[in-house]
Order: sequence, then structure tokens, then C-alpha cells
Amino acid sequence: MAIAATFVIAVGSTTMRYTTVIREMNVLFNGQVTVVSKDAIVIQAIPVTGGMLPQDSTVEKILSIPGVSTVTPVLFVTSVGSQALIQAVPVNFSMGIPVEDWDIVLGPVPLRANGHFPRNDSSNEIVAGASLADQYNWTVNTEIQLNGYTLRVSGVFDTKMALLNRCLVMPLTLAQIVYNYPQSVNILAVKPLQSMPQQNLTMAIKEKIGYVNALTETERNDIVQPVLEQVQTWTIGIEVVVFVISLILVMTVTIMSVSERRRDFATLDAMGAPTSYVFRVVIIETFLMGVLGGVIGIAFGSLTAIVLASLYTSIPVTLFFPSILEIVPPIYMLEMFAAIVSVCCLGGIIPALNAMRMRIAEVLRAEY
Amino acid sequence: MKIRTVNLTRSFRVGASEIAAVKAVSLEISKPILIAIIGPSGSGKSTLLNLIGLNDYPTSGEIFIDDADASRLSGRERRRIRNTRIGFVFQTFNLFPTLSALENVELPMSLANKPQKEQRERALNLLEIVGLTQRRSHRPKQLSMGEMQRVAIARALANKPEIIIADEPTGELDSKTAKEIISLLQEINEREKTTVVVATHDEKIIDAADIVCTMQDGRLKQES
Repeated sequence: MAIAATFVIAVGSTTMRYTTVIREMNVLFNGQVTVVSKDAIVIQAIPVTGGMLPQDSTVEKILSIPGVSTVTPVLFVTSVGSQALIQAVPVNFSMGIPVEDWDIVLGPVPLRANGHFPRNDSSNEIVAGASLADQYNWTVNTEIQLNGYTLRVSGVFDTKMALLNRCLVMPLTLAQIVYNYPQSVNILAVKPLQSMPQQNLTMAIKEKIGYVNALTETERNDIVQPVLEQVQTWTIGIEVVVFVISLILVMTVTIMSVSERRRDFATLDAMGAPTSYVFRVVIIETFLMGVLGGVIGIAFGSLTAIVLASLYTSIPVTLFFPSILEIVPPIYMLEMFAAIVSVCCLGGIIPALNAMRMRIAEVLRAEY
Repeated sequence: MKIRTVNLTRSFRVGASEIAAVKAVSLEISKPILIAIIGPSGSGKSTLLNLIGLNDYPTSGEIFIDDADASRLSGRERRRIRNTRIGFVFQTFNLFPTLSALENVELPMSLANKPQKEQRERALNLLEIVGLTQRRSHRPKQLSMGEMQRVAIARALANKPEIIIADEPTGELDSKTAKEIISLLQEINEREKTTVVVATHDEKIIDAADIVCTMQDGRLKQES
């Protein structure tokens, strides 16, 4: 039971973590239309592959469309430093945003004590995600080397948002220099006027600029929603299969255990024990099996989830310990614990009914 | 407690044939005496004890408990009688391995919902009677066979039963220990005025019994 619980919790919480990160990818662009290169593959608002867009000309063309309020060019680069892998779910990435537009994209995200946002586009100041800062011991004013450039940490995000925890945010021009994308961006966040429906705006953008794809918030959700739903269905399916196998195992083990102790149960019957007493004895045993298996499984499952997260993100395991309850939320632990205990109690029903039927006359007759 | 059986028969189906383990046994036990039922293995002694102990149902015939037809009793009533009015002693002791001697003795009282304090006092008293006060915290594995059977006897006496049914109580014991157990059963019979019905091969029990009955091929014959 403990092994099953470990497996379910490790798989469930890992999946949950990644679906949360994917859902968060849309949060930064709430209420905005995103424009990306036509050949870009996007997860929510974030392009994970695909070409770049010429910054000035594209911004100019979009601004000329009626109903546009603001256009924010963003350079989004997956991987920081030596983490050269482009991953489907970016865990380390950089964002370049014009200093005056940080509010539009990031919203009111607080910084840790003594931090400040970069003051102008030409500065070498960056803001680091808390998880990255903790991993590399960065604090305000720490100087870091990135692609041969010396950058200074001006602040560290103080947020639980997984996406921002693993990112470096810097002025757009600085990002374009550091990552060598002069005058190029890969996302344009377009805020429509209140009178302009997002759907109409995307159509207008696509009509006017042939090399871009424009997506409303709903369309971005629609791209990943079926995938997320399928992932969730598969996770539930795996959990159900594991629990069914566990149920059968608990039942088999308990049937064997009851059978080995048939003389004890028959003696209880000879002593006049009510059948409900015998039933209770077996169910309490399986309940305790569930409690023990659940506690051990949740402990090992949480550890496994952390190790998996560490493997996928290259973040040291120790950094995950303080946020263990974010990776395996307490409510999920409780749900799994309840499910494990229920499975064990259910698995005890048939053996308990068997135990209730054991009679001393039959047991003694079978023995002699 | 008065037990009367009339033409009690118990058959078992073995393959295609039906074998009668107990055949038309009529028996009456009305006084607190020590009855020994002897006979070769397979003669039906244990089956008869299970029937009069309400642990089994006859194929035909009747059992009367205090003139009430046992066949009319519900399962719950039969269990209540087994718990409060009948004590069982088995050849293999049938103690619960995870419980201490004291807890084994307390169990029938716990099943009868007696108060915890009363259970403890009675169990300690019974262990004193069987001479095991010092061994009360030991589990069955830590006891000798003779001690285990003493605990089993103390357990059988827990709810002050009117009848003790003992199936080969000395079958697993050496002769010295067997003698002690027989004396104990005799003492219980005399001191507690409890009827003791013993199925046995043991001649020492036969000598101590008030009545000796012989089972042969399922039929019961009273000898003395």
C-alpha cells in the first residue's frame, strides 16, 4: 500500500505541478491579445519554438489598427546560462520587457526587501526569480555573468508563482543585447480598447500582418486545455488502476491473513463474539494498514515528487524542501490519505465477511 | 443449566455418501457433575460436544437448553448462551497469540460488555485460582503447554458458566501436567458447581468422572 501511495502521490503531484505552471503561463497576459510569429508553437502565451518578429515595424503596424490601446514587445528566451535545453515546459527562462511596460506584463509583483525594478532600459539591472536567487545565492547587488555580460541583481521576486520563480526579467534592450536578438522580439502583448472585442482585434492583426499569428486569451487556453484535460484524465486513470490493484492486493493479503488465523476467529465465534465484533476486528486491521501505508506513502511520495522536480528542473533537491507543501499541497495529501484508507477498508470487507463465517466445529473438523 | 438431547443426529456429506458422526444420541445433564465421554478417534465425541455447546446444528433430533428448544434460538441468542453460560476448553488451547494471559482471560468478559474494572478483578482472581498470577503478562508463546491450558480454563470460567465443555483437554500434555489439569477441572466442578463435560482418551479423567459415557460409531452408551 505504501508503494502504491508513493507512486500515486509522486505521479499526481508532479503532473499537478506542471499543469499549474502551464496554466500560469497565461496569467502574465491576462486581458491581452498575444502576437507571435506565424510558425511559432505556443504553450498558452509563451512561444517555445518559432521565429522572431522585427520589433519596431511590427509594433508600428499593430498600433495603426483601430481599437489597440497599448503594444508591449517582449523577448522571451528559454533557458538561463548553461541550461541550454529548450524544454516544453520552460523552467529557467529570461524575459525582456521595456522598463515602462513592466506593470502591464507583470502586474503588481512584490520584490524581496531592498530590491527595486531596473530604472531604465540601458541599465544592466535584472530582477531574479526567488528560486533561482536561492539556488545561486543571489541577493540585491549580486553581479552575475550571463553570455559574457556582467549583470547586477536589483531585486528578487517575492511571489509563489512558479513561472516567475525560475526567471530573470530584464529591460528589453538589455535582453536583446545579452541574447543577441537586436531589435527582435517573439511576443507582442496587445491590449485592446474596451470597445474592441479580442476576437475582432486578432482578426484585424492577422489580416494586416501576414507573418504573425494573433491569439485571444480564450484561444490560448483552448490550445492547451484539451492537453491538460487529457493529462488530468490519464493521471486519474493511473490513480484508479493503482488503487484497484492495491484493493486486490489488500484483499488477497487480508484473505490469507484471515485464513491463517481461522482458528482464532472460530474461537471468537465459540466464545460468543457477535459477528459485528469479528467484522470490526478485520476492518480495524485493514484501516490501520491504510493509515500506516498512507503515512509512509505520503512521506515517500512527497520525497519522490521533489526528486522528480529536481531532475526535471536541475534545481537542487534541498531548495524544494521549504516549498514541499506547494509541490504536494496538503489538500492533495489529505485526499490521497482518505483514498488509501478507504481502499484498505474496502479491501477488508470480503475477508471480514469470511472471518464472520468461521465456525469452530468446521475448523476443528478440518484440522483433525 | 439443564441440557437434554433427543435423538440427536449429525451427518456430513463426504463426496457422494453421507456419514453420520452422531447417531440418535439422547442425553440429559441436569446436575453439576463431571462427565467423561470416551471413545476412539472419529467416534463422534467432538461432534457431540460441538452440538451440545451450540457450536453446530444437528441434522435431526433436538437439543433443549433449560427445556427450551435450541433449534428455535436465533444466532444471536445462541452466541449469548455460548458467551455467558458455556465455557470451552480445547485440546490446542486456542489462546490468542497477541494477547497476554490476563487479556485472554478478560476477552469473554469484554465480549459480554462487563465493566473494565470487573473484568480485570475477575481475570486476576481466575489466574490466581489456576496458579498463574505471576505469568499474567506473558503471551501464550512464553508459556508452557500446561500453563496455556490453565489460561484456557481460566478463560472458560470468565463469565461464570454453568457448563464447561472440554474437548481432549489433556491431549497435548505430559502425564504430570495432565494430572494437574484434571485436578483443576475436578476442583472447578466441585467448588464452582459447574458441570464439566470432557471428551477424552485419558484414563485419569475417566477415574475422576462421575459419569463415563462411551461413543462408538456415533452412538452413545452410558457405562457408569
